[in-house]
Amino acid sequence: MTNSVPEIGQYSDVIFIIGSNTAECHPLIARQVIKAKERGAKLIVADPRLTEMANKADIWLRVPAGYNISLINGLLHIIVKENLYNSDFVQNHAEGFDEVARAVEDYTPAYVEKLTGIPQQDLVEAARFFGRAKNATILYCMGVTQFSYGTGNVVSLSNLAVVTGNMGRPGTGVNPLRGQNNVQGACDMGCLSNVLPGYLAVTDEKNRARFEKEWHVRLPSKPGLRIPEIGDAILNGRVRAAYVFGENPVMSDPDSSHLRHAFEHLDLLVVQDIFLTETARLAHVVLPAACWGEKEGTFTNTERRVQRVRKAVNPPGEARDDWWIFSALAQKMDYGRMNYLHPQEIWDEVRRLVPEKFGGISYDRLEKARGISWPCPAEDHPGTPFLYEGGKFATASGKANLRPVFFDPTRLPEEKVKQFKHALAGKITELPDEEYPFTLTTGRRGYHYHTGTMTRKSWPITQVTPQQLIEINPRDARKLGIEDGDFVKLSTRRGSIAAKAWVTERVPEKTVFTSFHFWEANVNELTINSTDPVACIPEFKVAAAKVEKITPAEFQAILQEKKKKYLVDLEEEVAGQSKSGRREAHV
Amino acid sequence: MFNRFVIANPDRCLGCYTCMAACVVNHQKQGFQAYPRLFVTYSPAGTMPVQCHHCEDAPCALVCPVKAIEIKDQMVKLNEGLCIGCKMCALACPFGAITIQGAPPPSVQAEPTSLLSSLLAWLAGHKTIGIKCDLCDFDEEGPQCVRVCPTKALQLVEGGDVERWSKLKRAGAVTGAVAIFKGAEG
Repeated sequence: MTNSVPEIGQYSDVIFIIGSNTAECHPLIARQVIKAKERGAKLIVADPRLTEMANKADIWLRVPAGYNISLINGLLHIIVKENLYNSDFVQNHAEGFDEVARAVEDYTPAYVEKLTGIPQQDLVEAARFFGRAKNATILYCMGVTQFSYGTGNVVSLSNLAVVTGNMGRPGTGVNPLRGQNNVQGACDMGCLSNVLPGYLAVTDEKNRARFEKEWHVRLPSKPGLRIPEIGDAILNGRVRAAYVFGENPVMSDPDSSHLRHAFEHLDLLVVQDIFLTETARLAHVVLPAACWGEKEGTFTNTERRVQRVRKAVNPPGEARDDWWIFSALAQKMDYGRMNYLHPQEIWDEVRRLVPEKFGGISYDRLEKARGISWPCPAEDHPGTPFLYEGGKFATASGKANLRPVFFDPTRLPEEKVKQFKHALAGKITELPDEEYPFTLTTGRRGYHYHTGTMTRKSWPITQVTPQQLIEINPRDARKLGIEDGDFVKLSTRRGSIAAKAWVTERVPEKTVFTSFHFWEANVNELTINSTDPVACIPEFKVAAAKVEKITPAEFQAILQEKKKKYLVDLEEEVAGQSKSGRREAHV
Repeated sequence: MFNRFVIANPDRCLGCYTCMAACVVNHQKQGFQAYPRLFVTYSPAGTMPVQCHHCEDAPCALVCPVKAIEIKDQMVKLNEGLCIGCKMCALACPFGAITIQGAPPPSVQAEPTSLLSSLLAWLAGHKTIGIKCDLCDFDEEGPQCVRVCPTKALQLVEGGDVERWSKLKRAGAVTGAVAIFKGAEG
């Protein structure tokens, strides 16, 4: 996030939530939104589903799944046309405004309504709210990023924030709500294929030299593979071994059957996790890891706040901290420099290597403060709750770079892209057709977490959300003879799953929604592995699907198939009847 | 004095289910049936948890054939030990606030569902009965749903509250009526 969470409740006058089911997925951030609303702030929500945030919005823009760019360009069109942009900010702190203004010329309210069905009046009103706000903030999540043009979506949002001057002040900014307690921290530490810790590009020799000196190794100068590329790389023979930790990709990756097929061709699959996940069941070696309440260290949350984590209980059995396992492996592989005794030593190394971001965040300070937001270069620096203060950006010129973004559902608008220097463009990879007439979109449900590795082991949570449901609009349900609670089969070109139908207005017509929490009906068997050219994020949020009503007996048959698929032959193996001898796992 | 009850403000409710999870945990700890006693209900009109209103002339208590439901301590109480699971109360409840469920007793380790073979799906001591809100009567801290709500959307309404609010509203109504008759701003 460019800004910190409490600023929303305190300073924001207009909150624009797009592609985020904040109430269910980030309830503590939604709490700030409610607080702001009770203070009189206006809430604009863009979402195809009637999420609880949409239900509470002053203006709900029911944008069809995948059409975010048209909507945002439409807002920009009105903001430019009605002179609602911040001309001082645009002149002194941004580059490329004229190009963006020219690019959004075609996106008139009438054109956007034709494309998305959003009433013109609502779009105009939303643009006026946003343009006239003292402090407008944008909150977004996977409904913006998980497209083959996710980068374009995010760039459009930053265009909107910069053009209206909503950057570098409390209660403004472009704020991705991160989904895990420490996903920000993992990225900060270089858990990406193209950067070293602190987002230093591996392609830059100076950056590599910084780390080579401390680590006494030669570092690769080329970015590695990204997760969605792994499946094909295994099948091409480029990748022979995989070491998976903190992830359950046979449940969470798009077109997961393809990835599972690829994993079966590996020479070695090592999985390190706190439970025996669906992926771990395919592994040759399983390394038991400690969970968050069983280890010391730091987590960095969505607002870049580094927080101290303390051990509450000892890890069970042979489970060890992730860092301990990595160090032990490194020693076995004859690299002796990772002989740490405590996470503090590792953190101090990070501070030494990336002082410009983390230098001032010492354990001593973390013991006293409730977290410090990076960048924090020195011990006497208070940290940075919001970025770009005074309109100073982290670009070569110090100004925000605006880039035109184009969208056409059916084909890439290349002729338009050619007219501009740095334009981006997107199209939907798989549009509904006669055979697969529905748009399938995916997400999470309140209280279950991702692939259910943790939450499905909790009785109370299982009672709250006991099973997979497929949301379908009442009109579509009536046409297909489906009643609430009937069993349905949901298929795409990649596979099919079966679950109960939830007939609800929450989804628009011709759209179905379901989650990836349940192996019994894992929607990622259906999603498409079509990725963004820049970030390589897959298009989890749109695919073409069909829905059929099935009998309870047919449902049972499909359930048995899935059970075989995901549980492998675990039960027989536990009973001492291992046939293959493939998994000599230490569990 | 009226019965006490918990009510939610749909303007504040996020539909985040924290109340339901807390309800399960609190009753499970106490050895009661480990199921939620309130139900987050999404609707285009608004979203909130629905639960027992602790009616003064409670239809569930009237239809119970074994007197498992009685009105005492300013609430409608269901005795899980006496209940025979006949489901009449669930049918009679005008709010759908009673469910018929059964959980294993706390001493029985529940198998993780994803590991259970269908042949082994058997639970010792399983008893299916009516489940309804008891205002966490056993807990000094009061209803857990009220305590855990991240937006403070839930509140416990006690006997005097309804009368006090009605008085305030009547006072407001007088001001309004006076304004109309005097033709002036109230």
